[in-house]
Amino acid sequence: MVLPVILAVNTSCATKAPLDRHDQADTFETYNRAMFKFNYQADKYVIKPVAEGYRAVTNEFTRNRVSNVLSTIKEPVSAVNHLLQGEPLQMAASLGRTVINATLGLGGMFDVAEGWGLKKQKTGFDETLAKWCVPDGPYLVLPILGPSTPRAATGLLADSAMNPVYLGTLNAPADVKDKIYYSYTTINGMAYREATLDLTNDLERNSVDYYTTMRSAYMQNRRGMSCSSKDKGETANYDFDFGYEEEDEIFDEMENQ
Amino acid sequence: MKKNLFTILVAALFFAGNANAAVDGAKAEAFVKKVTDEGITQIINADIPQKEKDARFEKLFNNALDLKFIGQFVLGRYWKTASNEQKKAFIDAYRDLNIKTWSQRFDEFKGKEFIFKGTTPSNSANQIFVNSLVPMDQGEPAKVVWRVKQTGDNFKIVDIIIENVSLAITARNEYTAYVKSAPGGINDLIKDLQNKTKQVVKK
Repeated sequence: MVLPVILAVNTSCATKAPLDRHDQADTFETYNRAMFKFNYQADKYVIKPVAEGYRAVTNEFTRNRVSNVLSTIKEPVSAVNHLLQGEPLQMAASLGRTVINATLGLGGMFDVAEGWGLKKQKTGFDETLAKWCVPDGPYLVLPILGPSTPRAATGLLADSAMNPVYLGTLNAPADVKDKIYYSYTTINGMAYREATLDLTNDLERNSVDYYTTMRSAYMQNRRGMSCSSKDKGETANYDFDFGYEEEDEIFDEMENQ
Repeated sequence: MKKNLFTILVAALFFAGNANAAVDGAKAEAFVKKVTDEGITQIINADIPQKEKDARFEKLFNNALDLKFIGQFVLGRYWKTASNEQKKAFIDAYRDLNIKTWSQRFDEFKGKEFIFKGTTPSNSANQIFVNSLVPMDQGEPAKVVWRVKQTGDNFKIVDIIIENVSLAITARNEYTAYVKSAPGGINDLIKDLQNKTKQVVKK
């Protein structure tokens, strides 16, 4: 998810029915479609085969252990963001999970903390910005990373900078640092892609316009992030008006832009 | 006498309108629970051949969802310009693709359950959201919301929202974008949906 353009505080981070225009508006559609095509080819010939290979040579138990280790590494990032979101209890829980799982959970392979009532509550800087009511911005397809928005990209950069793997290797020699960070990024990407294989295969198989389906689902899912000052009394973003006449006017307006 | 009749008529209309606007949340939740229970016990977990599962699912799908209502929403403004034949062909193609797609996924739902979490009112008349959670093997449970429309004593599902993603909005965005750029418009869409269904069946 790239590119930071986060400005203006406190405008419309929250959504309202009927259908939010952002669900359909695609300011950079020409660029996005071209980048989507490039990513699709890169995924088809490189990333997906690697993820499929990873699935082929490992069983579910092993993949879950890898996923848990990666998740434990990122737990401190959640802790910092919980603090930034004004959630000290969740921050304490994330820190507790890091310590327990990294030690008793054998380096994070097993989620011992969950059994003790410390449930995983993953969050990131993107969500922190959403809580601060920073607007999301338009849909953007990033090279290799895929669907994003300016806020999501900013969140990703900030989370990467807070990542213990990055911070822990800051003073290491350049070649060691690069090896560790690139290895971590590769494993992380491979595990993520493997976890989404079934979902993306299904989406692609059933879509008549795969790009639009991805964009629509991605942008709707982001609406789940709430803006603190507008939480109360806000209707769900999916509570659009099912009377299609009104929505058609929005489409007409957009086409004439 | 005429005046009285008029007053009664107005009152009847007023109360009928109000009755329509208020959806019975408990009944709506019971309806969705019945649909999901039936799907899980009599289809997904049932020890019957796949063909029988598909047949049962098709029946449940047709009974539980208001496909005409959904169909005209997802086709957006193109619904108005479509001929009756195109409308029917589109709904049939949309129904077939959904039925075949979901039928292929039964195994993924084995052992899963829905935990119902009450209802949330909708801004649309006669509609309500039934909230549910599906515990996952790893991580937090998935949030699934069912949009239900009430007509008299009859309930129908008109949208399913998974982790904030509305299937109706997604389909609408996808199909209207497709029709807008396809040379053959709705006919191309119908053909493509039919081809997708064939591919799903072949798989």
